[in-house]
Amino acid sequence: MTLPPFLRRWETLLLAMLVLIAGANMAATPFYLGVGNIVNLFQLEIEKIIVALMMTLIIINGEIDLSVASVMGLAACVAAYLFHAGWPMPVALLAALASGALAGAINGFWTAYVGLPSLAVTLAGLIGYRGIARILVEDRAYGGFPDWFNALGQQPQFGPLTVSIVIFVVMFAIMAVVLHRSILGRLVYVMGNNLQAARYSGVRVKRVKLLLFIASGAIAALAGLLYAARLGSVRGDMAVGFELDIITIVLLGGVSIFGGSGNLLGVGLSILVILNLRNGMGLADITGNTQTSVIGALLILSVLLPNMAQAVHTKWKGRET
Amino acid sequence: MKKLLLASAAAALIGVLAPHAAMAQATVKPGSAVDMVLLPKFLGIAVFDQAHNGAEEAAKELKNSKKLQYLGPTPENSVAGQIEIVTNAATQGVGAIMISNNSGDQIVPAAKAAHAKGIKVVTWDSPIPSAEGEDVFVAQVDFAETGKVMADMALSILGAEGGSFAVLSASPDAANQNAWIAAMQTALKEPKYAKLKLAGIVYGNDQSETSYNQALALVDKYKDLKLIMAPTTVGIVSAAKAMQDENLCGKIKVSGLGLPSEMLAYTKNGCAPQFALWSFVDLGYLSYYTAYALATGAIKAEAGQSFKAGRMGTYTITKDPTRKEGLRILMGPFSKYDINNVEAAAK
Repeated sequence: MTLPPFLRRWETLLLAMLVLIAGANMAATPFYLGVGNIVNLFQLEIEKIIVALMMTLIIINGEIDLSVASVMGLAACVAAYLFHAGWPMPVALLAALASGALAGAINGFWTAYVGLPSLAVTLAGLIGYRGIARILVEDRAYGGFPDWFNALGQQPQFGPLTVSIVIFVVMFAIMAVVLHRSILGRLVYVMGNNLQAARYSGVRVKRVKLLLFIASGAIAALAGLLYAARLGSVRGDMAVGFELDIITIVLLGGVSIFGGSGNLLGVGLSILVILNLRNGMGLADITGNTQTSVIGALLILSVLLPNMAQAVHTKWKGRET
Repeated sequence: MKKLLLASAAAALIGVLAPHAAMAQATVKPGSAVDMVLLPKFLGIAVFDQAHNGAEEAAKELKNSKKLQYLGPTPENSVAGQIEIVTNAATQGVGAIMISNNSGDQIVPAAKAAHAKGIKVVTWDSPIPSAEGEDVFVAQVDFAETGKVMADMALSILGAEGGSFAVLSASPDAANQNAWIAAMQTALKEPKYAKLKLAGIVYGNDQSETSYNQALALVDKYKDLKLIMAPTTVGIVSAAKAMQDENLCGKIKVSGLGLPSEMLAYTKNGCAPQFALWSFVDLGYLSYYTAYALATGAIKAEAGQSFKAGRMGTYTITKDPTRKEGLRILMGPFSKYDINNVEAAAK
């Protein structure tokens, strides 16, 4: 799998950024390198980065899923609602995962089979699924889950690592294989590059898209449940606004918003860059708007730089011929 | 045998007396170096900045050589942001965190983790509902008192002949406001308020535009309306502006809970002759004293512990009657504002 050279350079740039940030963090605070802090660094954003992995595939495929954060909230609320209605927790969790997959299937149906733009479909999902979540729990907070469930999100289970972190690592490996080593992965790129061409060459584009959206919904639901376990209680406004952070991570990773290009290595580096930056700023007592602006500036640069590089490149080429 | 009994009786007596000895007012010694974090619901809200000023005042008095960190999330990231800040404070091993909790019980795992590391967790303005992971809650005012203060202001504005008034609240599910309105309705049952008639309650969701429109809708709906009571700082300003814009201030007055700096103009032009609020400066000041006293070991987080909080006087930790679990320090009282004192308070 060879990549265009400027993308290869993008990953190098991310790596350089990461080294720089890690160096600054080490210099700024003695707490940075503690095992506990490194675990916290991942834990505090773990649900977002799990969803970001699947979002990478969706965006490379030329689509977008704005409904992920609402599906996270929906799944958490479904589980809490059913558990408090007397269902055993494991069954409630399965039902919650199913609700996420169903939400994804609805997104996929309208996008792939009806042909509406996923931007519009999943925007409707963002509003609709959140609405259902809020109807289910109203303005209450549901807590009192079994200890084993809370422990999933709060306590280290594998050495110092939590279940969520292990799930993330395993999922990263699976996604890497699917995207970069499987036929499905190749279809994701081909469709993202040129949907018409893919269709004419006999790719069952509808089925692939539907599958991707179902996976996106199910993974968002899983992330929502992990979030509920980490917080120990569920509210209707859980994960509101997370979709933007998730898409930010993917775009900073060098994935083109127009589809067809990008890779999981870039997204992995982007995750490390953002998490380390947040953590360093947090430990240096920089929070709130300052933190948001720094990350915002980073994103603006990440969108501008490659485009500028390409524009300059094209112009240069034009002059030569 | 008798001696033994006597001895054990004496021991029991000492056992009973000892806590009383500890209950004597503790002295908060200035000069300790304690890292402390003041965490509002989110940044950019006037009342939280006032609490910050109060906390800084206390920090100066207590000669804490460590700078107070005033850290908060952005409004759209309040829950995750608060959890992140508490978690990072635990990593840094600060001495105390003061939280105006906006995360319900979702803050509990983070607060518990901080608490387990020996960090004192004081909540102010808004507590942790289950009280888990929390040492003590510094409460601004008693809910019942809020209701009575509103009923009194309505009586004082409407006078002996009374009349019809309506409530413009925040959101339908706002726990604070609902408790205050319920307390006011209870207070209204007393005979001296017999001529006050509560016509209805509407909700402006603490958004200026919605509140403004709801205030005007009230005017249309209740023709004999004489007063709008808004137990929210956003609602009261919007209602006063609406009445001013429509030249209705001669007929309909506005009252409730408001910030002097935001209400100054409306009190001066007679639209909102009287309103009330607790001092957020004092709330920040008292929270800092409480957290500092806990972190330096001057007091323990136990009912009956008592200490002197600088200029504000002596406070005692009690069980919190408004929650199943938890301890509280009740600040109180309300400050009522009218034309005589609003200007000084607005500065």
